Amino acid sequence: MIRKLIPLIALAVAYGANAQTPDAPPPPSWKQGMSSEQNSSPLHPFAPILTGVEAKDLPISTLKVPAGFKVEVWMEGVTNARSLLQSPQGTVYVSNRIGKNVYAIVEKDGKRVMKTVAKGLDTPNGIAMIDGTLYIAERGRIVKLENIENRLDNPPEPVQVVDGLDPTNGPGHFWKYMVAGPDKKLYFNIGSPQNITLPNYIQAAILRVDPKTGVMERIATGVRNSVGMDFHPVTKKLWFTEHARDWITDDLPHDELNVLNKVGEDFGYPFCHQGDLPDPIYGKYASCDQFTKPALKMGAHVAPLGMRFYTGKMFPAEYKNNMFIARHGSWNRTTKQGYDVMRVVLDGKGKVVKYEPFLTGFILNDKGDPPMWGRPVDVQVIADGSMLVSDDHNGIIYRVSYAK
Amino acid sequence: MITTVSFIVLVTQNKVNMTLLKVKRNAMNLGFIAFLISSFSLSVNAADVAAGKAKAEALCNACHGPNGNSQIADIPSLAGMPPLSISNTLFYYREGNRKNPIMTPIAATLTNAEMKDVAAYYSSQKREVTYNTKPENIEAGAKLAQQYNCTQCHGPNLLGVQHIPRVAGQNHDYLLTQLKGFKAMTRADMDGNMSSAVSAIKLEDLVLISDYAAGMKSQ
Repeated sequence: MIRKLIPLIALAVAYGANAQTPDAPPPPSWKQGMSSEQNSSPLHPFAPILTGVEAKDLPISTLKVPAGFKVEVWMEGVTNARSLLQSPQGTVYVSNRIGKNVYAIVEKDGKRVMKTVAKGLDTPNGIAMIDGTLYIAERGRIVKLENIENRLDNPPEPVQVVDGLDPTNGPGHFWKYMVAGPDKKLYFNIGSPQNITLPNYIQAAILRVDPKTGVMERIATGVRNSVGMDFHPVTKKLWFTEHARDWITDDLPHDELNVLNKVGEDFGYPFCHQGDLPDPIYGKYASCDQFTKPALKMGAHVAPLGMRFYTGKMFPAEYKNNMFIARHGSWNRTTKQGYDVMRVVLDGKGKVVKYEPFLTGFILNDKGDPPMWGRPVDVQVIADGSMLVSDDHNGIIYRVSYAK
Repeated sequence: MITTVSFIVLVTQNKVNMTLLKVKRNAMNLGFIAFLISSFSLSVNAADVAAGKAKAEALCNACHGPNGNSQIADIPSLAGMPPLSISNTLFYYREGNRKNPIMTPIAATLTNAEMKDVAAYYSSQKREVTYNTKPENIEAGAKLAQQYNCTQCHGPNLLGVQHIPRVAGQNHDYLLTQLKGFKAMTRADMDGNMSSAVSAIKLEDLVLISDYAAGMKSQ
């Protein structure tokens, strides 16, 4: 009898905390991991307005920045604007998660013009540049556009660098964020295929690939999904944001800001969240002490995405080497939070000593459905020292500048 | 006329917001209403229903039917859809996420603004439902729609929410074709949500759900 029950028990475990009857179908991926009490929850993710919204139809004046700073619309009509990158020549590249194109924005005769440099890609969310070559991380592969600055009007066909990066080809966190390391390698995430599940070897991890040789390494594990990374300008350590699992409570677990001190560190997923919270299902298989703890607990469900260190000259001196982190905002929470850009200050030892709002005002009503009119995705410090912020909900890029 | 609507809405919104300030706490419901109104005014301001009507009559109604009530079994009705579900779908066709030999070239001619206008027009039209669910499927269909999470995203009456389309009163053949496509993972699907929702549903239940949803007359 017991033996006969084992497959049934295994099945129930496989469906995780979604305590439904064993013959119930798997729910949509974002609902995976709900408890039976949460089954009628009205919470759901929000989709972007893919056709975009013009700035004149948005309450831009509700945006707030600290005294002396100014926020303005820098570019509109950039459908589903996601990751940002500025080349040494000043071109701003913009990626896309739901669309298929990568755009380049250049200044021409005092006006900004948007060009399409790559078309027909699959979830081209990650972009990075090394020695004049633009690399694009798609759902399942990385492609490159060589010498792109001289070919903006006649871009080459993307050439594949590496593939096999979408091991399940199913629903889940299949979009990638990518940065170029000081070692001229490409660093990117492969997310967990579900909300809470045991990942395979290359899932829930940060990897790097040498684009010259195609050699790949897994450098961090236990990272549920990271959609923002940058290297500290002095220590050259990799800092990255991480989205924690959904459907525990409104206030748990916190999303994380992490730092990689040595190659191969494990950050805990799916066993341990926020450094000290054993997972309700997987927690019994490991101790939180086994894993690297976050540098900062960022708040529950706030969805930290793009982050960059401030290396410009425009902002006041105390902003030097601070981090700016875009928070896309919560959906899996009764009272919504996030939808802003935060400032993080580190001390000389790399410890977080300040975590405060920098750009706010996107949220209209924290109980609304949806609660916000815009959603920050990525930040990029540009050559003049100001900072761009992308908003994938409306297809807009904002610029934050400072004047004494 | 549209200007009048948005004007009234904005005035109402200000009143509600002022009330909100006075009440401060305990204002959850009022806040929700204020938000509904404000989002409505945003969408009304941003889209031109009259321009959308003209575009729809010239380009879309021949197949999608008068006022977006399709008379053709495998072509969807658009009347009464949430506007974002229409404009995002047109975007998918234009950009190539979703492919169809008729829709792809039509969407290719539309700008973002035109997509939003068409969406605003169809969403303002009344869905006319003539299909009748088989009597034996009414109760069973409602149960399956709960069990298989349909109501979680499409809403308790399957009228659609934001980018999620209305399936209540949708053409039966069209619904079934889409569901089969999701199951086969051949139908475009944001983040794979529909494919994962449908993956474990038996074909006979997909048929039953299609019959149930197609006959739903809720408005």
